[in-house]
Amino acid sequence: MKYYIKLALILFIFCAVASGILAYVNTLTASVIAERKAQEEISTREELIPGAVFTEAKTADGTSYFVANNPETKEVLGYSFISEEIGYSSTLRTMVGVDKDFNVLAIRVIDQAETPGLGANCVLESFTHQFTGMNKDNLKVDKDGGAVKSLSGATITSRAIANSIRNSILAVQSELATGVSQ
Amino acid sequence: MSFIKELSKGIIKDNPTFVLVLGMCPTLAVTTSVVNALGMGLAATFVLICSNIIISLIKNITPSKIRIPVYIVVIAAFVSIVDMVMSAYLPALHKSLGLFIPLIVVNCIILGRAEAFASKNNVFLSIADAIGMGLGFTLSLSVVATIREILGAGTWLGMRVVASNYDPMLIAILAPGAFITLGFLMALMNMLKEKK
Repeated sequence: MKYYIKLALILFIFCAVASGILAYVNTLTASVIAERKAQEEISTREELIPGAVFTEAKTADGTSYFVANNPETKEVLGYSFISEEIGYSSTLRTMVGVDKDFNVLAIRVIDQAETPGLGANCVLESFTHQFTGMNKDNLKVDKDGGAVKSLSGATITSRAIANSIRNSILAVQSELATGVSQ
Repeated sequence: MSFIKELSKGIIKDNPTFVLVLGMCPTLAVTTSVVNALGMGLAATFVLICSNIIISLIKNITPSKIRIPVYIVVIAAFVSIVDMVMSAYLPALHKSLGLFIPLIVVNCIILGRAEAFASKNNVFLSIADAIGMGLGFTLSLSVVATIREILGAGTWLGMRVVASNYDPMLIAILAPGAFITLGFLMALMNMLKEKK
């Protein structure tokens, strides 16, 4: 009996030391990682809608989107937001830039952990460039009757990206519509 | 002398993929392209070297009844640290290897070598074993990936190697292609062995 308590204690000490080290490394790196991610988001947004200044706004459910304005004329150039949806094996986060009529200007998949060689190809330019010019009516994969050509072997990933962008467009559009009527 | 012996055995004689048949999950999953195979192989080698060192150092203070959970805690903690540090300070490397880091936790080569080798040998030999096993793993992943990438995408390391009107054999990139390729390569290895 005593022996087993000793074993449990030893295992406990190993776990405690390991968690202690992990917690310490986490406090060191968490802020660096968060800052780097934020920096990346800013620079990606500027690539999607070049030469604009961005103002953050929020939809009713609390997700934020950005209004892109021409820095001189203050005229609205478009909107940028991050669309999220669960794909095949991870949550896909796609940053989207649209013009003021909600036609897609460009997209960039910023976070994913899909199957290497199949779904992970969604980050490639050859997949993402086809989204340019699409709108909420044809933002569906070809199997669902839309214009998005799915990645071979990764329809679920492609569908998640297309649907998440369409949902975000609808959400921001309805938000703006209620804002105008108020 | 024995350093070289422990190092070289992992490459052919005790090749982790084809002979020990360890680490099948990453082997099947990431060999769709040679770049992925090299990334996974090198990341696993790095973690294997470090975990072998630590396991070998703590082997005398670990009671044998609870050694497996202790090894798992050590390896999981170590992989998480590598992931966090890499993500914070080496973002470019993390972008290309980051995907493989969580997969390494479930790579049984690491636990297998901890149990079969590092827990019984000194640090010096454990390092040799880890380097050999890591290189053997990287090499066999690259072989599988070379076949699958050329057949399934017509490219090698991203460069086009067959005529551009070649219609890729998509099945080679999909999961069944991984099993078929691996099966043929294992048969070939066994055939060569029997001939000796």
